[in-house]
Parts: sequence; C-alpha cells; structure tokens
Amino acid sequence: MVQYLIILLDDASTSYCHYSNRETKRLMPLDTLKQGILYAMKENLMIQFVYPDYELPQEYKDVIDSIDHSDIVSSSCEDAVIKENADVVVFNGWTDIDSCNLSDETAYVIRTNKADLFGKRQLLKSLISKTARLNVVITDVETFTEEDFGTYKEALAMLSEEVEKLYMEGKYPQMNILTDRMMLDKMNNCNAGWENITLAPDGCFYVCPAFYLAGDEEDFGLGKAKYSIGDLENGPDIKNPQLYRLDHAPICRHCDAYQCKRCVWLNRKTTYEVNTPSHEQCVVAHLERNASRNLLNRIRRHGTFLPEREEIKEIDYLDPFDVKEEW
Amino acid sequence: MGKKKNAKERSAYNDDMRKCITFIVTKDCQLACKYCYLVGKNSKERMSWDVAKRTIDYILSDTENFSDECVQFDFIGGEPFLEIDLIDKICDYLKIEMYRRNHKWFNDYVFMVTTNGLNYHSEKVQRFISKNITHLQICITIDGTERKHDINRIYKESGRGSYRDVVKNIPLWLSQFEGIHTKVTISHDDIPYIKESVAHLFNLGIQNVLINCVFEDVWEEGDDKLLEEQLIQLADYIIDNRYYIDHTCSFFDENIGHPLADDGNWCGAGMMLSVDAAGNFYPCTRFAAYSLRSRKPIIIGNVYSGTGINKNLLRPYLTLKRSLQSSEECMKCEVASGCAWCQGENYDAADTPTIYQRSTTICKMHKARVRANNYYWNKLFRKLELEGRREEFEKSKPTVNNTIC
Ligand code: SF4
Ligand code: SF4
Repeated sequence: MVQYLIILLDDASTSYCHYSNRETKRLMPLDTLKQGILYAMKENLMIQFVYPDYELPQEYKDVIDSIDHSDIVSSSCEDAVIKENADVVVFNGWTDIDSCNLSDETAYVIRTNKADLFGKRQLLKSLISKTARLNVVITDVETFTEEDFGTYKEALAMLSEEVEKLYMEGKYPQMNILTDRMMLDKMNNCNAGWENITLAPDGCFYVCPAFYLAGDEEDFGLGKAKYSIGDLENGPDIKNPQLYRLDHAPICRHCDAYQCKRCVWLNRKTTYEVNTPSHEQCVVAHLERNASRNLLNRIRRHGTFLPEREEIKEIDYLDPFDVKEEW
Repeated sequence: MGKKKNAKERSAYNDDMRKCITFIVTKDCQLACKYCYLVGKNSKERMSWDVAKRTIDYILSDTENFSDECVQFDFIGGEPFLEIDLIDKICDYLKIEMYRRNHKWFNDYVFMVTTNGLNYHSEKVQRFISKNITHLQICITIDGTERKHDINRIYKESGRGSYRDVVKNIPLWLSQFEGIHTKVTISHDDIPYIKESVAHLFNLGIQNVLINCVFEDVWEEGDDKLLEEQLIQLADYIIDNRYYIDHTCSFFDENIGHPLADDGNWCGAGMMLSVDAAGNFYPCTRFAAYSLRSRKPIIIGNVYSGTGINKNLLRPYLTLKRSLQSSEECMKCEVASGCAWCQGENYDAADTPTIYQRSTTICKMHKARVRANNYYWNKLFRKLELEGRREEFEKSKPTVNNTIC
C-alpha cells in the first residue's frame, strides 16, 4: 500500500538515488503543488519534497509549510535555511564534502560512481564519525565487473574497521551499506511503486523520479523507459502493480540482503523487468550483506550487541539467482 | 477419470529436453496463412551464411551458456525450405565443427525442420533428407481435410488453398520417417472441422496429431460449446475406430484438467535460443519483431557484438513461475493442468511491457477441452474395462506429445 508521496518540485531537483536529474529547470506549477498536497492529505500519505538548488518563491514555501513533510536537498542548494533544516542532504559527487558543516541531526547521501568511491574510500572513512547517518548510492552499479566486485569488497572491509572502532568507542554511526543489514530482520527495499510513488512537475504520478526523468526517447530495449502511472485528476492507476511487490519478485523474495534497494529502475534498465534484478545489483548487495555479517560478528566479540537479532547466516553465493534450483 | 487429483504439470519444455537452437533462415513464405502469428513476414530478411557460421562458432564455443547434454537445431521461417541450400550448408558445418571440436553434442544432435511441405519432393530437399536422415526430423504442417486446410493455408499471391500441393507429398514423407507428427492450429474459423480433420490426418497415415487452440484473442461467444461438441465427436470416432491403440491426438491427454500442485513455468522461452537474419538472438522466436503485433522485440544479444548473450536479460525467463504471472483465479482453478500459455503472446498482450502477465483468452477453450477430455477417458476406460483390456492398454498406450509451439 502506498504510504509516501515524493514530490519532485522541479525537473532540476536533486537526485538522491541511482538516476540523474535534469539540468534544465521546470518548476512544478503552484496549483499542481497544492493539488498534490491535497491528494496526500486525503490519502493519508507522508510527503517528501525534493528541492532544486535555487531558492523557491515564497508562495511555494508557504504551501509546503502547510503540511507535515520531510525535505531532501542537495548540498549545493542556495537556500541556506532549507538546507540547514533538511532531513536529507545529498552530495552529488565529492567536491563540497570537505567544506560542508556536517550535522548529526541530518542524514547524508553521497552519490558516487564506483571509480570515485574506490579512489576516495579514505575520505569516506573519515566521514563516518562525522555523521549520524550516511547513505552511499553508487550511480553506476550496473557497470560493475568482477574486478570491481573485488575492489568493493576490500573497500567495505576497510570501512567496517572504522565502524567497529567507533562502536567500541560507544558511538553508533549508521552507514547504509554496512550497518543497515545488522539491524534488519526483513526486507527494507526502496519499494517504489508499492509503498511510495512520485508526483512530478508535469502533474503526473511516476513509480519513482527516474521513470519521469528518463529522456522522452530513452529506451532500454522494451520501449519507452519513461512512463507515468496516472495523473492528479484521476489518481494513480498502476498497471501490473503486483510486479513492484516483493512477493512477485522472483529472485528477491528468496533473498536476505535485506538492506538492498532492490531498485526497480535498475531492474528495468538491466533485465527489462521491474521485478528482476541484474547480477551486478545482487552481487553488490551481497558484498554489503557479507561485510555486515563480518562486522556484526566482530562487534559481538567485544560484548553483547543486538542480542535480539539472529546471526546473519554464512552463505556461499553472491547472487541468489545462482541457487535458484534450491527454491 | 473424472475425479480431480493434483497433477504435476508437464511443461512444454522439460528440463530433460534438448537445448533448442532455432535458425530463422528466412521470413519469406509462399503462403499467407490467416492465423499465422508472424505478422511481419517479408521476402527481404534471409539469413546470410556469415550470420549462420558466426552463430555456430559462437554457440559451439560458449560452453557455459550451452552446457546441455544434447541439442536440437530447428530451422523455421517463413518457409525454411525456401533456403534449402543454406540449411544444408549449416548442417554440414555443424557436423564438421562438432566433430572437430570434439563437442559433446556430436553424440546427440537432431535437426528439425518445420515446413509447409510444398517443396518437400524437390531434388534439393530430397538430397538433404537422404544425407541427414539419421539425425533428422521433419514436420509437415497439414491442417486436415481440404476444406479445413484451405480456409487458412492459402497462397500469398493467388489466395488459392495449398492442400492439394501438400497432400501429394505426404506419402513420400510417411515413407521416409517413423513416428511422425503434424501440428494443427485451431482458430475461430476452424472449430467446425476439427473432428473431420483429425480423422482425415489419421486416414492419411499420420499417427500423431499435435493440435492446439491459438493463444491470441480470437475466440467468440459460443466457440467453447462448439469446440466441446467437436471434441466429443472426435472422441467417439477415435474410440469407435480403436485409434487409441496406436494414434494420438494431443487434445486428449490424461494429465490435463486437474488442480495444480507445482509452480513451474509452462513455456520454455529463455531456455531456447533463436537467431534471425540480422544475427539477433531471442529467448524464443515469438520475441522476434516479425512475431509481435504491438511490442518491441526482445533481443538478448547479437552475433556481431562479440559479447554473446546478455545473461541479465535471461534472468526473468529463468526464474519465472506460474504463480508470479497468473491471476488468483488461475492459481485456484480446479482444471488448471494443461492450460497452456505462450510467453511471447503474454508479452504481446500484456498491459505493460512484461512477460509476467499471463494472457487467459484461452480459458474457456481449455475448460471446454477438459470436459471433452474427461468424456474421452471415461468412455475409453469403461470400454476397455468391459473388454478386459484396461491393463493391456496401460502397458502399451502411446505417449501424447503436448508440445504447443
Ligand atoms: S526505484 Fe528506488 S532505488 Fe531505484 S532509482 Fe528509483 S528511488 Fe532509487
Ligand atoms: S540482492 Fe538481488 S535478490 Fe537480493 S534484494 Fe537485492 S536485488 Fe533482490
């Protein structure tokens, strides 16, 4: 059941995930914004606003303030007030991380490609202690090679040493790729199209911003990558809605990499089916899962930790597809 | 019979079956069959030798993706025998290469050609047959009686029926192969002729008739009743004439019409491979552009790309389950077993571009078939019991081939 409405205020609103935003501005008409909020109120949805970098007109701010919500902004947002009070601040790359005043009230997202991630892992390590929550989003997961998997595994091992050290000091920083799996006993995926949908500046609903921002002619093979799932006037009408649910995901429903985003956008891009992940998405998530397993075991060597959580099992595969005969 | 039991579904593509590799050698055909699912047939797309050779070189060297113990090389079209020279060359090269590479398939391979039969008697085709007879199967498609065959199977240019030109080749075909079957496809217009057509094929000497209703949305009000009537007449005919001893008609199958216990997929798309004139690879021929009405083709690789098959694109096929694509009604259906689907048609007819939405236009036809099928087995078993021959029949009954594509 849909619980969240993500409102993309502008085509140029920051990306906080695997997709890229547009450079050209297209602000959501004020009336659309009002209708979107009204819709969310009537449907009992929590709203997340995603901001562009420029400062919004005051009338927009007033309308936004009329409803309880959370804010996602980029670290390069010119509106200092919005940025300071945001729930989530996104770094698009690594350039302004050093100069940013990190707050432990805020969750941070760092969007990075694999090359930068591998190259800047020391910098990433140093950020763990400065933030309460850091989400790493790899923007080119689909391009991972065998060699990249090896490098990522090493990077995760190095980062988990830091997390272990901080835990021993009584600090409990969160980092999606390492600590989330320790805390979970069931899937906690993105769930776009199932628990959350997006309202775009054109007044239409989309599974997630990626499905709106895809170029009009973008085509991964099965036809247009961009498709809407309804509009404000008639409400969302998702065709084949079951395909966004975990119980209709042939591989994921057997998986215990609970922290995985299970990104339906990447699924569509790489396998053409929103419910089927690529090998690369699965292996990356399993490297994280296994790194969490090792981290949890190591922390527990120092004393009782999360006693109610079961041990994360040792498994001998990195892609659940490889053990499909056992399902 | 008649009592429901949980059945393990037999899929159209069992794990123990051969790897099927299909060469779409041409998209041209002399006929323009009205029910033909190949909406994009044309005379331009003929496979070149370069595409064929590269495909063979790739398939025989990629032992990871093609690890199956045995293989069937299918040749389809259009009408494949329009490209007999190419087929002959492909088969020669395959044999030489499998031998030269010491490939395990050299011990167990089959060539299969599905043809409209018009060129069957030609010198070239006959030479090809005698050269490959020990590893060859040929299926000539003949729809039944002349009037039934000629409703659909007409010449492209003249619109004339093709029955007479095909039937004259049947005796030659029968004399060259054992245990042959023909495939009959039933669409709306054909229903009244089912009984006479199957009877006719049996009378021509064809012992196994593979017959199925098309998966496309062609059925009209009352078609199910009509199908049931035809099949009951056919059941009487088969039983009264004792054809059940050594003939089969795939409409009658003991395994159909039960609730289902397993969650397997029906269709073998993704476990097979098709290649067309452009060197594009498909999970099955039904995903090639010329087979699709309203969707884009699903191309999983190209022989010129150098990267072989994109394995990510096969993942949806290889993990597909009945429950993931069927409605609750289908999952709970009391007569579900044998209710087939075609993944390509599902994809073509779905509300979104997915293979995970099962088309159920066949539903009422399947239920009609199940009723007639129940009648057939109840009648046959009673007769055999009264004659004291049930046990004998059980030991020697012919196996029904339920392949639907
Ligand atoms: S589907 Fe979810 S995880 Fe994927 S890009 Fe969209 S929001 Fe991100
Ligand atoms: S690791 Fe793979 S199977 Fe598991 S949830 Fe993620 S995408 Fe799905």
